[in-house]
Amino acid sequence: MGNVLPPVTALLPVLLLAFTGLALLLVDTVRPDARSNTSSAVAAALGSLVALAATVWLTVTGVGSADAGGAVLLFADAIKVDTMALFFTAIFASVTSLVVVAAHDYFHDHADPAAFYSLVVFAATGMALLAVSNSLAVVFVALEMVSLPSYVLVAFFKKNRGSVEAGMKYFLVGALSSAIFLFGISLVYAATGSLILSDVGDAMGSLDGLVGIAGLGIVMIVGGVAFKTASVPFHFWAPEAYEGAPAPVSAFLSSASKAAGFVVAFRLFTEAFPVGASLAADINWVLAFGVLAAVTMTLGNFAAAVQEEVKRMLAYSSIGHAGYALIGVAALSADGSGNGAVMGAAMAHLLVYGFMNTGAFLFVAMAERWGVGRTFQDYAGLARRAPVASTAMAVFMFSLAGLPPFAGFFSKYFLFMGAIDNGFVWLAALGAVNSVISLYYYSRVVKALFIDDPESSSSLDAVDVRPTALYAAVVFAAVATVLLLPGFGPVIETAEAAASALF
Amino acid sequence: MVDAFAYVPAIVLLPFFSFLVALGAGRYLPKGGAFGGIAATAGSFLLSLWVLATVAGGRAYNETLYYWASEGGAGIGPTDIELTFGVLIDPLSALMLVIVTLVALLVHVFSLGYMNDEGETGLPRYYAGLGLFTASMLGFVVADNLLMAFMFFELVGLCSYLLIGFHFREPGPPSAAKKAFLVTRFGDYFFLVGVVAVFATFGTATFAGEGSFPALADAALNGSGSVAWIPGGLELQTWLTIVGLLVLGGVVGKSAQFPLHTWLPDAMEGPTPVSALIHAATMVAAGVYLVARMYGFYALTPTTLAVIAFIGGFTALFAATMGLVKDELKQVLAYSTISQYGYMMLALGAGGYVAAVFHLTTHAFFKALLFLGAGAVIIAMHHNEDMWDMGGLKSKMPVTYYTFLAGSLALAGIFPFAGFWSKDEILYEALVHAPGEPLLFGGYLMGLLAVPVTAFYTFRMVFLTFHGEPRSATARDPEPVRWNVKGPLAVLGTLAVVTGFINMVPVQKVLGLEGIDVLHRWLDNEWGGIDGLSSHHYADLGPYSSEYLVGGEVGTVLVGAAVSLGLALTGVLVAWRLYNVPSPTEHTAKLGGIKDVLYNNYYLDELQVWLAYRTEDVAGGADTFDQGIIDGVVNGVSSVSLFGGNRIRRIQTGIVSQYTAILTLGLVALILVLGVTGGWFL
Repeated sequence: MGNVLPPVTALLPVLLLAFTGLALLLVDTVRPDARSNTSSAVAAALGSLVALAATVWLTVTGVGSADAGGAVLLFADAIKVDTMALFFTAIFASVTSLVVVAAHDYFHDHADPAAFYSLVVFAATGMALLAVSNSLAVVFVALEMVSLPSYVLVAFFKKNRGSVEAGMKYFLVGALSSAIFLFGISLVYAATGSLILSDVGDAMGSLDGLVGIAGLGIVMIVGGVAFKTASVPFHFWAPEAYEGAPAPVSAFLSSASKAAGFVVAFRLFTEAFPVGASLAADINWVLAFGVLAAVTMTLGNFAAAVQEEVKRMLAYSSIGHAGYALIGVAALSADGSGNGAVMGAAMAHLLVYGFMNTGAFLFVAMAERWGVGRTFQDYAGLARRAPVASTAMAVFMFSLAGLPPFAGFFSKYFLFMGAIDNGFVWLAALGAVNSVISLYYYSRVVKALFIDDPESSSSLDAVDVRPTALYAAVVFAAVATVLLLPGFGPVIETAEAAASALF
Repeated sequence: MVDAFAYVPAIVLLPFFSFLVALGAGRYLPKGGAFGGIAATAGSFLLSLWVLATVAGGRAYNETLYYWASEGGAGIGPTDIELTFGVLIDPLSALMLVIVTLVALLVHVFSLGYMNDEGETGLPRYYAGLGLFTASMLGFVVADNLLMAFMFFELVGLCSYLLIGFHFREPGPPSAAKKAFLVTRFGDYFFLVGVVAVFATFGTATFAGEGSFPALADAALNGSGSVAWIPGGLELQTWLTIVGLLVLGGVVGKSAQFPLHTWLPDAMEGPTPVSALIHAATMVAAGVYLVARMYGFYALTPTTLAVIAFIGGFTALFAATMGLVKDELKQVLAYSTISQYGYMMLALGAGGYVAAVFHLTTHAFFKALLFLGAGAVIIAMHHNEDMWDMGGLKSKMPVTYYTFLAGSLALAGIFPFAGFWSKDEILYEALVHAPGEPLLFGGYLMGLLAVPVTAFYTFRMVFLTFHGEPRSATARDPEPVRWNVKGPLAVLGTLAVVTGFINMVPVQKVLGLEGIDVLHRWLDNEWGGIDGLSSHHYADLGPYSSEYLVGGEVGTVLVGAAVSLGLALTGVLVAWRLYNVPSPTEHTAKLGGIKDVLYNNYYLDELQVWLAYRTEDVAGGADTFDQGIIDGVVNGVSSVSLFGGNRIRRIQTGIVSQYTAILTLGLVALILVLGVTGGWFL
């Protein structure tokens, strides 16, 4: 289709998201009377759904795939649209639409919710841009474009001390990480003489005494990625930001923003710093990611096991899942025939995770909307009053734990199998042990919902409203989590094809 | 012309639809969905007749219909296994289709009288069960590979569970249903391992054709081929024997052979028409049919054949002795079923493939007849099954009496009723193949001894039920039965008399009349069939040669027939003397201590319970290990993780400057590790 339509069509999802964000902002600024929670939510949802439709359409028509002439390069190679970019754009657009639909009920009594929608859509625009960026400069700009709205979103409850404090900490840690990332970029530029990823990749073969500079820069870039994916030790902002932020924002950050971090990692560490050339130059970033993955999944799961509040447990579990997804870059090898398989499995895991984790946070959003409390005990017996939502939550929990027959089982299975095939048995074994631990705290939620008795007969009286849009978003996420099981074949095939095209 | 084989799936699906209809809409239909079941089985019966006629027209059918895993070569595992559903129609399966559909149809009609007229509740559930039962058995019969056969075999087991436990509110039936399910499951466990072993060994589990596993096994034994896998350096012959015995586990469970026969007498708790279906045409028949279906495989392993023959002969005698002392009508029939299937196994083990199929056919009719007749008596007696409360029913219910008598004569093996011909052929085959085969000879002797015992308990049952003076008020004034009971009895009564004539081998051999051994020629593909699935081929494969006693072949036939008929008549006469009196008394006391042993079924139930408890002890040991060692490790991991988690929690102090410090130190540590190992600072 590249022959029929101008190549810039490939940027349609990004442009649609940007246009939606601008329109929301414009209406909010110019005609403050015309905006309302509902109209803003509908506009944001429509915009993200149209972007999703455009992404799916581009994927189906084969834009950027190897069959249709390879990736679409735009703006002097600064932008590159390929299957992986579209795959991740689909994750971002799906999560965004779920979050804005759910937010409609969550912010039902907020005085000025319109800004929320434009900020979310702008952040999504930044993520979509991040997915297609092909130059270190664009990567940095897009990353900031994701981060800055995120800081504001976390602190969206201006009067809430927790929300503002979390936003502040997020911003401070984020500023430090951005500085490290930018410093890393400059060192890499110094060593290779280019910002275009493919040129950097070519220069990696002939560093001529600049190995130290390049290596230092690469490790700093690893640090920047680790911040965005909330990997240990760059994770400190995450538990507090996720807990303090409004629950839809936590869902957005822990699913979409994390995936954005991974798309950068996948892009940079295949094109700019190819495994073979890096290892040949004694820059063993694979080991760095291996350490990060191991520490992240272990710390995330251990910490999640001892939490008393469901939202904070989910925050740590989200850190643990970042550890699993890091296997996608940590289990690469120089000659690896299985590189595409393991990275593709990580992508598929992020897609599945996008639905199940968003759904779980949105259930928390629903609980906050009801006002039933935040701890495991407060959730006791909720299934009696809200059986549909509780069933959906059970689906998310079991899927996050990786139990068959839910989609989370298959994505994790392919990920660990890919790691084993590529010779990283220890990572897979560690991942399996961590999954067992995670089953403990995930099943605590299900036990509380379905088995435990409520503390008092009146403690469930708070469940007196039926937030339709939140329900719709939660149920849709649950249905997607279940349907991804039969639909996992095409997903993993697309993901592996996209990943294989990178090597 | 329209091809009959295109409708084979419909034979299976029609009863399945009746199951769905009865389940979904049975409540709103007249008679609880009975008519749907009758129409469906009647349709299946007509289609089966058509298929039989088509096979008689010289054609056969072996077609894979559906690949449910790995179509087109991209198979699973190292041997490229394909998992399929298919249909295999040859003379054997065509004959079995007719038997199953006919018996199922008659059982459906009879149920109108037994269930509907008696005002039972839960009829939709009952007819749904019957429909699924029939459909599962038909699917099993037409299966073209072992895995498909296994799946339908399991469905048959499930349906028997549902139907035996039909009266689930009473204490007995649910327990009997569980027992039937668990005991047959024990055998099926071996069967499943056998199926996997067949797949692993041959890469296929199809029954017929060039690439079927019996053909591959034959080729491998001849040295003209090889198998994909043999575990641990076993001899090929040994391994094939092991595989055959594994599959035999399922057969022993389903066909109620020693030692897994204990579920069957308890299964009498189910409604009587269900017992008829289970014993005559579906569940119990499934085991024997499976051996016949893959006989080309069993014929290759003499050890397995000998084991089959010995188990069969032993079961025939063993079950017959237990039938001697039972007081309840259906209990006697239950033990007779076990015993008769023992005969079929003896025939299969003795190389008498045709004889086994012959006895399967005749037995299907006369045992269905006897059960339905017993059902009629039970209706008349207001569900009192104790024979000591009966007596004198002969004049009150003549249709039931005469048909029941025909069935009993067939069961006892009296000339010229159906059972005589088939049982005689089994004993003949065992006899001529026995020399030099001690296990087979033992089986033959036990089978022969079981003949008078069978005749005795059969006629003890007949005399106690129908002859003499009525011994209770209900027996003096029994409830009348209607056409829907008498009709099926009449049909089956006729068949019990005439079915034997389809295979009059002794007459042919003695008189030299050619062409009256129809079943022999039918199973020998004389009209049509599939290469490699003929009785002739099986005889070539088999290990046996024939040796005759006095007077060559004719003499042996005559002596054999005379001995078995004489023994049967002896049994009948003894029963006549003891029980055909106006007021018979129990003679079991004369048996002394043996009586208790027989009453208690040789204490086998107790033995199995004891074994179950010993298994529980072993399981207890495993449980201790699990609780102590495994759970200990798991609990250890979890307490470590909880402890560690608490430590980690403390790192999250909430102070940003500490976070940034740890973050920076972590980055520096990473840089140092990579830098030092990569030599960046040199």
